Amino acid sequence: MLEPIVVTLEELNLITLVPMCIAIFGALLIICIDLVKERLDKSFYLMITLLFLAVDFVAVLASAGLFEQVGSVRGFFDVMFIDGLAILGQLIIVGASMLFIPLALTSKRFHEYNYPEYFGMFLFMVGGFQFMVATDNLILIFVGLETASLALYTLIALHNRDKSFEAAIKYFTMGALGAALFSFGAMLLYAVSGSIEIAHIAAVVKADEYANIEILLVGVVMLLAALGLKVSLVPFHTWLPDVYEGSSAALAGYMSIVPKIAAFVVAMRLFEFLIHSGVVWLEVILYAVVVLTMTAANLWALVQSDVKRMLAYSSISHAGFVMAAILIATTQANSALFIYWILFSFTNLGAFTMLWVSRQKDLLPGQSSDHPYDKFSGMIRTMPVAAVVMGLFMLSLAGMPPFAMFWGKLYMISAAVNAEYVILALIMAINSAIAAYYYLKLIVYMFMKEPHYEGMQQYYMTNSSGALKTIIGFAAFATVFIFLALNPIMEFVTALVQKSGF
Amino acid sequence: MEIYLYIALFAPLVGSLIAGIFGASKKLLFTGIVTSSLLALSFFSSIVLLVHLLGGGDEIHVEMMTWIAAGELYIPFGFLVDEISATMMMVVTLVSTLVHIYSIGYMKHDAGFNRFFSYLSAFVFSMMVLVMSDNFAGLFIGWEGVGLCSWLLIGFWYKKDIATWSANEAFIMNRIADLGMLIGIFLIYWNTGSLQYDTVFAAAPSLDETILVLIALFLFIGAMGKSAQFPLHTWLADAMEGPTPVSALIHAATMVTAGVYLVVRAHPIYELTPDVSYFIACVGAFVAIFAASMALVNRDIKRIIAYSTLSQLGYMFVAAGLGAYWVALFHLMAHAFFKALLFLGAGNVMHAMRDELDPYKMGGLFKVMKYTAILMIIASVALAGIFPLAGFFSKDKILEVAFGSENYILWGVLWVSAGLTAFYSFRLIMLTFFSDSRYKKLGFDPHEAYPYMLWAMAPLALLAIIAGWFEHQFVEFVTQALPMFTFNVADVVWMLIVVTTLIALGGIALAIWTYRDGPLDPKWERNPIHKLLINEYYIPAAYERCISRPYRELSAFFWKEVDLKVVDYTVDLIASMVYGSGKKTHTMQNGNLSSMLGWVAAGAVLLLLAVIFSSGIQVAG
Repeated sequence: MLEPIVVTLEELNLITLVPMCIAIFGALLIICIDLVKERLDKSFYLMITLLFLAVDFVAVLASAGLFEQVGSVRGFFDVMFIDGLAILGQLIIVGASMLFIPLALTSKRFHEYNYPEYFGMFLFMVGGFQFMVATDNLILIFVGLETASLALYTLIALHNRDKSFEAAIKYFTMGALGAALFSFGAMLLYAVSGSIEIAHIAAVVKADEYANIEILLVGVVMLLAALGLKVSLVPFHTWLPDVYEGSSAALAGYMSIVPKIAAFVVAMRLFEFLIHSGVVWLEVILYAVVVLTMTAANLWALVQSDVKRMLAYSSISHAGFVMAAILIATTQANSALFIYWILFSFTNLGAFTMLWVSRQKDLLPGQSSDHPYDKFSGMIRTMPVAAVVMGLFMLSLAGMPPFAMFWGKLYMISAAVNAEYVILALIMAINSAIAAYYYLKLIVYMFMKEPHYEGMQQYYMTNSSGALKTIIGFAAFATVFIFLALNPIMEFVTALVQKSGF
Repeated sequence: MEIYLYIALFAPLVGSLIAGIFGASKKLLFTGIVTSSLLALSFFSSIVLLVHLLGGGDEIHVEMMTWIAAGELYIPFGFLVDEISATMMMVVTLVSTLVHIYSIGYMKHDAGFNRFFSYLSAFVFSMMVLVMSDNFAGLFIGWEGVGLCSWLLIGFWYKKDIATWSANEAFIMNRIADLGMLIGIFLIYWNTGSLQYDTVFAAAPSLDETILVLIALFLFIGAMGKSAQFPLHTWLADAMEGPTPVSALIHAATMVTAGVYLVVRAHPIYELTPDVSYFIACVGAFVAIFAASMALVNRDIKRIIAYSTLSQLGYMFVAAGLGAYWVALFHLMAHAFFKALLFLGAGNVMHAMRDELDPYKMGGLFKVMKYTAILMIIASVALAGIFPLAGFFSKDKILEVAFGSENYILWGVLWVSAGLTAFYSFRLIMLTFFSDSRYKKLGFDPHEAYPYMLWAMAPLALLAIIAGWFEHQFVEFVTQALPMFTFNVADVVWMLIVVTTLIALGGIALAIWTYRDGPLDPKWERNPIHKLLINEYYIPAAYERCISRPYRELSAFFWKEVDLKVVDYTVDLIASMVYGSGKKTHTMQNGNLSSMLGWVAAGAVLLLLAVIFSSGIQVAG
C-alpha cells in the first residue's frame, strides 16, 4: 500500500515561488480584465504589467535578503533552488523587462499593442525565464524555457509584418530543435546519474569517478547545442539575425538581453561543475566555441549594411565574449558575466530604442531594410542631439572609457588574465578592436557624411514619444554615469556569486 | 604664509578658467576685469611673500601633493619661494598685471577678447609654476606650459597664415631645445636619483666631471631655445606676429628670461663647470652684438625691439656665464620693466597707425601722441643705459663684471653693443616720433591711446627710472640664495662708467643727427652690409635651404615611399583580409531555414565526433 504523502507548508517553502507567481498572476489578471471589459487602452495594460513587474522585482530583492541570511534555499519539493545566481538572474530578467516594456508607448499605433494578450504573454514569458534560472532541476528548466520561448515566438509574430511571421516561424523551428536537443541531453544525464538535479548529477558522476564519461559528454554536447541556440553561439546562431530583423526593434533589444541571461545562468550551473572537476575536453570545446563566436560574429558584423543586423551580430559577439566567463569559471569571471550583462542591458536598451524611435511604417525610397547605415548619414546636421546620443551608445558598445561597456570588458578581460587565460584575453582585446570598426562606422555615417535623404527628417523621429525619450535619456545617463555606482554593484554581485559557490 | 603662495600660484589659473568658459562667446568686458583683478591679487601675494623674505623670514617650501610615486621615483608637486623665485614672481606678476590692464584697451575691438585673456592668464600660471617649482620636473611642466601658451598667443590671429607659421616656428624651435633640456633632466635623475633642487645640488659636487659638463650643456640647450640664443634665435623676431601685449609680456619681460632663470637656478651645477659657463658667456656676448647689429637697419618697430630683447638676453647670459648670477637677475628685472614699457608703447603706436609697423611711414608722431612718446623715450634711455635710469645700473654692472674678470674681449664686444643699443633705440624714436610727418601723405589719422592704457604703463615707466637705485638692497637680498660675485675694479670703475656712458651718448647723438630729417637716402640700402643685416645674415634663408627643405623632401619620401607603400599597405591588407573573410563567410547566413537547421545539426555532429575522437583528454589527472 502506498504511503500517503504528507506535505507540510514549511517543506514547500512557498516563498521560493512568490516572484514567478506574481508575474503569472499578473498575466492571468490581464487576460481576465480583457474578458470583462474589452478595448481598454494599451497604456492601462502597460501600467498593470509594470506594476506586477515592480512587485516581482521587490519580491526577488526580498529573497535576496533571505539568501543573505540563510544561504541557498530549496523549496517546492526541492524543485526550486534559490541561490545567488537565481537572484541575480531574476533581477536582470525582471529589471530589463521593466525597462523594455515601456517601449510600447510609441506615438504610432502598432498592431501588437492593441492586444491585451501581448502584455499577458509578456508576463508569462518573464515568469518562464524566472523559473529557468531559479531551479537546478533539468525538467523545470525545460518547462521554464519552453513557456518563455512559446510566448516569445508569439510576441514576435504579433508585429504583423511578413518579416515578423518569417522570424517567428524560423525561431519556432529552431527552438523546437533546441528543445529536442535539450531533452535528449537531459535524458542522457539522467541515464548516467539517475537524477535530473544538476547538483545531484554532479555528486553522482564524481562518485563514479566519471566511469561513463562518453555518455556524459554526449549529453553535454546536446545541452551545449541547445543552450548554444539560446545564447547564440556559432554555429548555432544562424536564426538570430533574421529574427532580430523581423522583430520590432523593441523586442529585438529585449531578446538580446533577457533570454540570454537566463540561458547563461543555466549554462553556468551545468558546465562549471564539469570544468571544476577537470573535464579538459569541455574546456577545449568551450575555448574553441568562445573564440569562434566572438571572432566570426565580429567579421560578419563588419560587412552588414543594416544597423539592426549589425547590432544582431554584435550581440552574438558579445555573447561569445561573455561565454568566456563560463570557460574561465572563477568567481571573478562569473561576477564579471553578471556585471557585463547589466551594463550591456543599459547600453543595448539605448541603442535599440534609438532604432525603435526611427521606425517608420513603410520603407524609405531606395531602402531595402528598416535601418540601413545610409539612413543615419549626416544625422548630426538634422538631429544633433539624437546623433550624439546614438554615438554615445556606439562608443559604449565599442568599449570606450568611461562608458558602461568599457568597465564590463575591463572586468571580463582582467578575470581572464587573473585566471591565466592570457591568450584568451588577447583574443578578447583584438576582437574589441575589430568591433570598434563597425560601431564607429555608424558614427562616421552620422557625423561625417552629408544627409542622404533631404527633407526626410520627419520620418526619423516618427515613432518617438515622451516616454521613449525618457527611456533613451535614462539609458544614456546610465551608460555615462554608471561607473560612479560600479563599486557597490560589484560588491553586491560578487558577494552573491561567491556565496552560491560559483 | 603658505596661503599666499597658493594664492599667488593659482589666482591666474582661476582667472584663465573663468575667461576660458566664455572663450567662444562674444566679447565680455568682465573677463578682462576678472583676470586682471586675480592677477593683481597674485601680485599682492607675491609682494607679501617678498616682504616676508626681505624681513628675514625663512624660505617657504611646500609639498602640495604627490605627483608621481613609482618605485624609486618620487616627484611631488612641491613649490619653493626663496629669494630667486620671489624676485621672479614679483617681476612676472607685476608686468603681467599691467599688461592685462593694458590689454583690456588694446584688445577692445577684437572678437577673441575672452579667449585672449584666458590664454594670457594661463601663460602667467605656467610661468609661476616654472619659477616656483622646487624640482626639475615641475620646472619642465611650467616650461612646456609657457611654450604652449606662447604658441597659442603668437598664433592668436590664427586666420593669418603668417601668424600660424610663426607660432609653429616658435613651438618647433623650442621643441628642439626642450629635447636637450629633457636629456639634461634625465641625466640628472640618472646620476643623482632625484629631481629635487636641494638633493641634486647637494649631490652635484660628487658627480663625475664629464657628466656634470653634459648636464650643464644640455640644460643650457634648453635655455637657448626659450631665451632665443643663437642658433635658435630666429623664432623670436617672427613671434612678433602675436598681439603686442603678448610681445611685451612673453617675448620680452618674462618667458624669454626663463633660460636665464634656469642658469641662475642651476648655478651650483654651472659653478662646477667653468668651461661651460665660459661658453655661455661667449654665446651671450656674441648674441648681444649680433642681435644689436640686426636691429640697426630693420624697418619694423616690433622687430627692432625684439632684436633688442635678444641682445639684452645676451648680456644676461654673459653675466650668468661669468658667475655673476645676481647681476644677471638684476638685469633681468630691470630689463623686464623697460622692455615691457617699450613694447606697450609700440602697441600704442601700432593702434594709432592701424597696425602699420614700418617707422619709415611714421615720423612726427610726437605731436599727436605726446605721452606715449615720453614713455617710450624713458624706456629707450633706460635701455641705452644712461644715468640714472635702471639700465645704467644693471648694464654697467655687466660691463664691470666682464672687465673685472679680465675678459677684455667680452667687455669690448659688450661695449660696442652698448653703443649700437643706444643707436638703434634712438633711430626708432627719431623715425617714429620726430622729423616730418610722413604718415599724413599715406592717409593715416593717428590718435593717442586710452588714458587707462597709459596709466597701466606709468608704473613701468617709474620702475624703469628708479629700479636701479635699489641695487644695494637687491644685492643683499638675492645673495642670500646666490653666491656673491667679487671682482676688483675699484680703481678703474669711474673710467669704465665714463667710457660706457660716452659710447651710449655717442650712439644716441649719432642716431639723432643721422635721422634728424627722417629716413636715410635709399642708396644706403644697396650697401652690401645693409643687405646682410636686413636679411638677418641670411640665416633664416640658410635654415630654409639647408634644414627645412631637405627635411621636407625627406618627409615626402618617407610618406610616399615608406608610409603609403609599406605601412599603409600592410594595414590595409590586414583590414581587407579581415573584411574579406567576413564577406566570404557570411553567405552562411542565407536566410534559408533548412540550412539553418543544417548548421545546428552540423555543429552538434562535430561536437559528437570530438567526443568520440578525443577520449584521451577528457579528464585531467
